[in-house]
Amino acid sequence: MTIENLDNDQIILATGGYDHTIKLWQTHSGICNRTVQHADSQVNDLEITPDRHLLAAASYQHIYMYDLTSNNPNAIVNYEGTSKNVTSVGFQQDGKWMYSGGEDCRARIWDLRSRNNQCPKIFEVQSAINCTCLHPNQVELFVGDQNGIIYRWDLRTDNNEQLIPENDAMILDIDISPDSNLMASVNNKGRCYIWSLETGLGDIATKLTPRHKFEAHKRHALKCKFSPDSRLLVTTSADQTARIWCSETFILLQELKQENQRWVWDAAFSGDGQYVFTASSDGYAKLWNVKTGAMERDYASHQKAVVALAFKDVP
Amino acid sequence: MALYDNKYWLLSHIRNSFISTDDTGMCELVMAGEGKDIKFHLSNMELYPDPEDSDDEEDDFESYDLPLDMDFSTRERSSTKVQLEKLDQARKKVGRMRHIRWETRNKNAPDEECSNMFVKKEVKPKKEHTSKLSALMKNCLNVPRNPYIEYAKFDGSGQVNVPVKKYKMYITMLPQHQRNYPMHISCVANAKIQDLIGLILLKFSSTQEASGINLKSVSQYGLYITEEDGEVDRDFPCLDPKEPVSKFGFSTLGLVEHKDVAKTVNFPEDYQSVSILESNRTRTLSDKSKADENRQMENDIQAVEEHNKLMEAPLYKSFRAHMLSKVKPKVEVSIGVSGERIEIDPVPQKSSKLLPFKQKAVSHPIDTIAWCEITDVKHTRSCFRLVYSAMSSHNVQQGEVSALSSASSYPPTLHSSASFKHYDFESDNKTAQDIVQKIRLILELKSTASREKYMAAREKKTKKKNINFIK
Repeated sequence: MTIENLDNDQIILATGGYDHTIKLWQTHSGICNRTVQHADSQVNDLEITPDRHLLAAASYQHIYMYDLTSNNPNAIVNYEGTSKNVTSVGFQQDGKWMYSGGEDCRARIWDLRSRNNQCPKIFEVQSAINCTCLHPNQVELFVGDQNGIIYRWDLRTDNNEQLIPENDAMILDIDISPDSNLMASVNNKGRCYIWSLETGLGDIATKLTPRHKFEAHKRHALKCKFSPDSRLLVTTSADQTARIWCSETFILLQELKQENQRWVWDAAFSGDGQYVFTASSDGYAKLWNVKTGAMERDYASHQKAVVALAFKDVP
Repeated sequence: MALYDNKYWLLSHIRNSFISTDDTGMCELVMAGEGKDIKFHLSNMELYPDPEDSDDEEDDFESYDLPLDMDFSTRERSSTKVQLEKLDQARKKVGRMRHIRWETRNKNAPDEECSNMFVKKEVKPKKEHTSKLSALMKNCLNVPRNPYIEYAKFDGSGQVNVPVKKYKMYITMLPQHQRNYPMHISCVANAKIQDLIGLILLKFSSTQEASGINLKSVSQYGLYITEEDGEVDRDFPCLDPKEPVSKFGFSTLGLVEHKDVAKTVNFPEDYQSVSILESNRTRTLSDKSKADENRQMENDIQAVEEHNKLMEAPLYKSFRAHMLSKVKPKVEVSIGVSGERIEIDPVPQKSSKLLPFKQKAVSHPIDTIAWCEITDVKHTRSCFRLVYSAMSSHNVQQGEVSALSSASSYPPTLHSSASFKHYDFESDNKTAQDIVQKIRLILELKSTASREKYMAAREKKTKKKNINFIK
């Protein structure tokens, strides 16, 4: 993908997984237009910077950044110093800093404004971190760990608050709706928990009130994501399906299922919530029509499981 | 023999000896890591001080041939090498990764910098809209899916830790002038040949060149062994589509559309297809020979008119016969006769591997054919002889299949009748008659220079004979 391409076609879909490659796709044709080698490790999570210039890949002990504006096959930045797998990565909305969570029980803030990470921040928990999610207000980071605890880490004050939705269950993913009214969390028992969020004024922290709990899947639920309009919630699971729920009534709207697609690891909505991408262990990324539940495209060329995808639509 | 116990002298001597004999530069590398002590002594003006203040009277510590040069650790290098190194370093610099290590917060960092990192943002409601992806998908609703997309998973480019095979691929469906460069294809090693074909078609279909070409299903194509220059070797059957690519070692292949599926796919084992060919049907020539055909047609419009008069003579027909030779056993061959060329292909036998030799497939442009006649008629079998000009057939053997564009471009340089060679065949009477008649008709139509020369030579010979006889 060149700079011209970016200007013309700013839709970016990146996928990665266990075959040590990251692929960039032409979304409407299903053609892979770039493959970068990610030789050191599997890809745990992918995220595109807000300016669409870089792709961050969370991997074992490193976060690598790839340049999306050139054809440079090598990573251009290597964030190192974590001792185990980095499981999740994300960006502040202006690209000022990057957050990450990892199996070394630490959530980190990486200062991206200067070249040398001048103002790092670290938050340590009791067990491996599975997921992180930044509140749309950009000052509260939610961290989920293997002990089943959700931490609300206030980045300004470093205070934290803990939630334990269920004993003996791992928190596998957390998401906050873009309108910041709801928070969803899924665990390894397939359950999904929903909180209502009440935004505090000024320095007052967000207040969380448990709202709903439902059996989203029979086995591990791996990811949950709200649609950009906050009306839908997609959950993915080891039961070989992804499910789309109404975020008001939590009624099942669609089940995205295909024979032998194996574990569905990740999902992302299109900018208007009409389509959803999924990544699965059968080596495919797939594009589904939310209204009909039909698969409209598949993206084939990974040799092993696809566990992470990053998607940036053009509004 | 002399005995020395001054270690600095010995060291110097060894160094000199090494440097003067070692062309690999390895000793330089090793000596680069020498200790401070040695360096000090080597650069010391007072050479080789006796470590224990011995009364060694020797003054001449130098090795005999080489004056000790203090600058010997750097060898003069060619400017190209220096330049190359510079380029290499520049490239590395460009490709260098920036490493950012996690460090705990620097206490000197201004607090203000850090405090304005976390600014609370107002969450604004989003507007309803149609995203670009949805718009694109809507536009592409009726665009057919690339039929080869399922083969994308065999793409080997960019794979890590997966064995891949790389190929140079010539796409023979392209017109000649676009076929100068091969397509580079990388394929995972566990794919089958048919998967590789699908992958080629997928890659090819997304290129500009493919726009004018109607691509068909994967089974309609075959991969053939191909020369580095793109010359497809049709003497071999196409690679078996069911076999894994790792079974074959070839790195240059040609993708060929099957014109006659029955013939190309089952060529080696099953010769049923000959009957199809024998049913006097025209054979669609390969693209290349088609081009040649066109060229020849232009050069010889008259011949084309003649073709129309005697329609069936130049049409391709295949015959079966046995090739005779004084030194080799009989070999069953198929003789393909057309207005352009005569092809002699050995018929693969079940036991062909056991034969001590293999008849090569040969092809002679019709311009090189001089004569054809029946030499012997037996009860059921006839022998016949095909005479050709050896001069031009030499080119054929070098792999040049192209017909001579016109006879005049290759003036027959026949100094004697020895320039003519011949094949002897044996077949049943009917076939022999058919072949001879057909070839004669074609020769008459074409009136090739080889034939004229041959006829002239023969006439001369008979005249000579007659003269001798008169004498």
